Amino acid sequence: MSAADIELVDLHKHYRKGRIDIPALDGLSLTIDAGSFVAIMGPSGSGKSTLLHLIGGLDSADRGVIRVGEHRLDQMSERELTAWRSRHVGFIFQMYHLVPVLTAAQNVELPLLLFRMPARERRRRVATALEVVGLADRMDHRPNQLSGGQEQRVAIARAIVTDPDVILADEPTGDLDARTSQEILQLLSLLNAEFGKTIVMVTHDPRAAAFGQRILHLDKGVLDRDELNPARPTAAAHAH
Amino acid sequence: MALPLIYHWRNVFVRPTTTALTILVVAAVVGLLGWILGFAVALRSALAVASDTRKIIVIRRGSTSEGTSALPPAEFNKLSQLTGLDRDPRTGQPLISPEMTVQVALPRKRDGGRTTANVAVRGVDPERALAVHRNVRLLGPLFATGTQEIIVGVKAAEQFAGLQPGDVVNLGFGEDRGYKVVGFFTADGGPLESEIWGYLPSLMNAYGRNAYSSAALRVAPDADPQDVIRQIEGPAIQLTARTEAAYWNDQLRLVRGYLAIVTALVLVMSVAAVCSIANAMFSSVAGRTREIAMLRTIGFGRGRILMGFVLEAVLLALLGGVLGCGLCLAWLQFVGRTKDMLGATSFTTLAFEIRLTPPIAAAALGAVVLFGALGACAPAWRASRVQAVSVLREG
Amino acid sequence: MTLSYVLLQNLRRNPLRTALTAVAFALPMAVFVLALSLVVGFVRTSAALEQELRLGVHHRVSLTLLLPDGHRRKIEELDPQRTRLRAVCGMRWFGGRVPGTQQTLQSLAADVDTLPIVYNDIGLTEAEIAEWQRERRAAIAAGGVARQFGWRVGDRVVLQSTIPPYRQLEFRLIRIWEESPFPLTFYFRRDYLVESLERDGLTGTGCNIFWVKCVDAAALRALQTEIDALFANTPDETRSEDENAFVAGFVEAVGDLPSLAQAMATVVVIIVALVAGNTMMMSFRERIRELAVFKALGFSAGRVFLIVLSESVLLALFGSALGIVPVVAGLTLTPPERLSWGAFSPPELSWLAVVGSLSIGLGVGIAAGLWPAWQAWQLRTTEALRRVA
Repeated sequence: MSAADIELVDLHKHYRKGRIDIPALDGLSLTIDAGSFVAIMGPSGSGKSTLLHLIGGLDSADRGVIRVGEHRLDQMSERELTAWRSRHVGFIFQMYHLVPVLTAAQNVELPLLLFRMPARERRRRVATALEVVGLADRMDHRPNQLSGGQEQRVAIARAIVTDPDVILADEPTGDLDARTSQEILQLLSLLNAEFGKTIVMVTHDPRAAAFGQRILHLDKGVLDRDELNPARPTAAAHAH
Repeated sequence: MALPLIYHWRNVFVRPTTTALTILVVAAVVGLLGWILGFAVALRSALAVASDTRKIIVIRRGSTSEGTSALPPAEFNKLSQLTGLDRDPRTGQPLISPEMTVQVALPRKRDGGRTTANVAVRGVDPERALAVHRNVRLLGPLFATGTQEIIVGVKAAEQFAGLQPGDVVNLGFGEDRGYKVVGFFTADGGPLESEIWGYLPSLMNAYGRNAYSSAALRVAPDADPQDVIRQIEGPAIQLTARTEAAYWNDQLRLVRGYLAIVTALVLVMSVAAVCSIANAMFSSVAGRTREIAMLRTIGFGRGRILMGFVLEAVLLALLGGVLGCGLCLAWLQFVGRTKDMLGATSFTTLAFEIRLTPPIAAAALGAVVLFGALGACAPAWRASRVQAVSVLREG
Repeated sequence: MTLSYVLLQNLRRNPLRTALTAVAFALPMAVFVLALSLVVGFVRTSAALEQELRLGVHHRVSLTLLLPDGHRRKIEELDPQRTRLRAVCGMRWFGGRVPGTQQTLQSLAADVDTLPIVYNDIGLTEAEIAEWQRERRAAIAAGGVARQFGWRVGDRVVLQSTIPPYRQLEFRLIRIWEESPFPLTFYFRRDYLVESLERDGLTGTGCNIFWVKCVDAAALRALQTEIDALFANTPDETRSEDENAFVAGFVEAVGDLPSLAQAMATVVVIIVALVAGNTMMMSFRERIRELAVFKALGFSAGRVFLIVLSESVLLALFGSALGIVPVVAGLTLTPPERLSWGAFSPPELSWLAVVGSLSIGLGVGIAAGLWPAWQAWQLRTTEALRRVA
């Protein structure tokens, strides 16, 4: 099990929408310790999703340093980012995004297909991942046979099956009811506490944010507030 | 490693109706394509068989086919002056076969005798003819010399009525004109298999002729056929000579023209098939943009995504191709696999048999794979352009 | 905002799909209208020939064998009152070619006295008939071949026979027959041929075929049996068939393009229907929610039905037109001689075929649109708005 520090220095990113220039991130700097569970909140358009995408190597910044572990993402080409991503990052989305024609196990197996790995090894990892999320008995079910919560668990299993350094979650409970949301968030906490995964979660729901050890507030592309969550102490006693 | 095949296979069936309709379109085009390829192959093999470059056909000067040529014995005898001819090992005589070609109208089996076709009847001297036409093999007895008996090429027997053993065919003028079928012959599938053969003097008598139609001769293994042709067409003999290959190539001109027309038509319709596949794929891509984006976030590259969609299109096309081959086979089996067409200048028909052999089916399926790949180009390109980020942006 | 605006917008919403469907529709339609033109041309020729009530009598064994001249008189004697047959014209194949060319013309030597009667469809005027009977070397050529060689009435034409005894004869054109169903027809006087052969000590008499002009269809059928019975079991036994049956035998042997055309036409209609159906289904599936919104806004079920159906019809007609127009242009602009296959009539532009093709296109559009339109009519708004397409 591994984890990595994340360091962002003076990050700038803007988008074009037609003829209008929208600055998403405007000189953001940030450090996230390895093994911590961080929640990012902010109003719509504050740049929180953009931040997540940049950390995950889905997009490139206009300016600034992005370091995850020993890797300098801002110096990587698109191809290098794709390769890096497949090894080091696990994504969880609001809309689960499972492939409807594949079973749960096959969905979880997808990221492993990018590596040279014997089939037996792949199956082992898939089984482990599904056990961790508590869905071992639903391996051969298709997404349309699973509830929303179960689908999200499968998505989480898919995110951890490659044993990534970082797990990035974009509104993971946005489509779930209160009780199921709780279950999912508890699962994420478990991954962080027991397996030491660094988790960065974007959310607009304060109750979800409360699961994080640290809560960041973004507004208009810059860090507005940065507070530790007293209810959830960090594993290592590092304050920043 | 790429995306699992099962993923692509299942995606093909996500929209069963669209898939079914697209498959049917491809099948219709492939069925026709299989038929054409079968016909083209039959034509090519007929030509290949009839392209013995050591066999030369001699006809009257300026004539265009054996059927309309007249070769009086005086002219024919000049041919024994030729050098470079193969010789009969026993007698030492040059291998020259005098022949007479006429036609008889016989009903076609395949439309129940509604129409008749002109079948070539060749009067030959059996010993010399079989020595010159090396690929003719007898199936059963030969006609007895001096009798009114005939043997029939297997293709002719298959396609035209009244050519079974014991049947009598009326040939020539005069009172007693019945010629009985006593046996069959093969000729490696070449044009001679569409003919009826009989005893030369008997037939010449029946048709009141004192001239042959043509002569066939065989060039010695060490001689140059072109040289023999030059001798024949030169001032000493002054007849027209063509190698068998050149002669039949010319006769099959009409057939080639027909084939060209049909091929052009099928190509046009192939475009329709490609467009249908493209249509189906575009729809598939449009419905899966989020899925594609998700795959990109996991780390599947553009190239893999593109190839994935090409693969799906090819799978779709192959399904249509297999069905199309099946339809073609069923058609050939139940409606008929024979076709006869007139030679370009002769008045007789050549019979073809169309078969969907494994190589032909493979070629048709190859074409189908091409359809799939072409149809997938644009949609797969569009799929590969889907950006991981843009579609996932929720806020 | 009108209904037609909505219609056009729908087709523009996915221009690529519209274009692909149009092309996938147009190409088979082009093949269809061409095939249909061929078939229509052929059927028209058949109908015309049927009207002419000509019975062809040739040697049973083969058309290439000659029947004696005496057969004509014997046939005529079957009906001395001329209540069933009008005239008998004997013809002998000449197989002539313009020297230096490859194409053998459909050149026949015909009886001088009866050709104008048996072939009254040539439409020879009194003056031309007189010319035909006066001028030994008179000849009549079809419009197609005349155009090909640039012949005009009064021209001297030389033809070289390709069959024994390979005569070369000179003729003078007295008439060009524009409406000839076959473009390579060439008639001249048989007595001229006989004379030329006999001058060299060859027998010149004998005909390949006798054309009997009958009074009506019943007479034709009756004469057909009587004539064959008359010559049965003789060395010159005959086989009589009406002109269409005679032609059919040849058509079959030159690749039988009409029946191929029919087969193609059928396949085309199937393909086109499938393409149209497919597109409509895909299009409808994507727009379920939008159509539900229309209904929620107050568009009646009937209106929505019409919208979907009209879209299908519009697309089908557009695709059909796209395929038909180039073919029409091609057929109109290409000189027919370049299109003939064997010695048969080239496909000519038939407005019947064009109308037929458009109707098929329309029919397919309606058929393909009916099912989605019906589903749209039935659509339950609330359900559809909840469904993710």
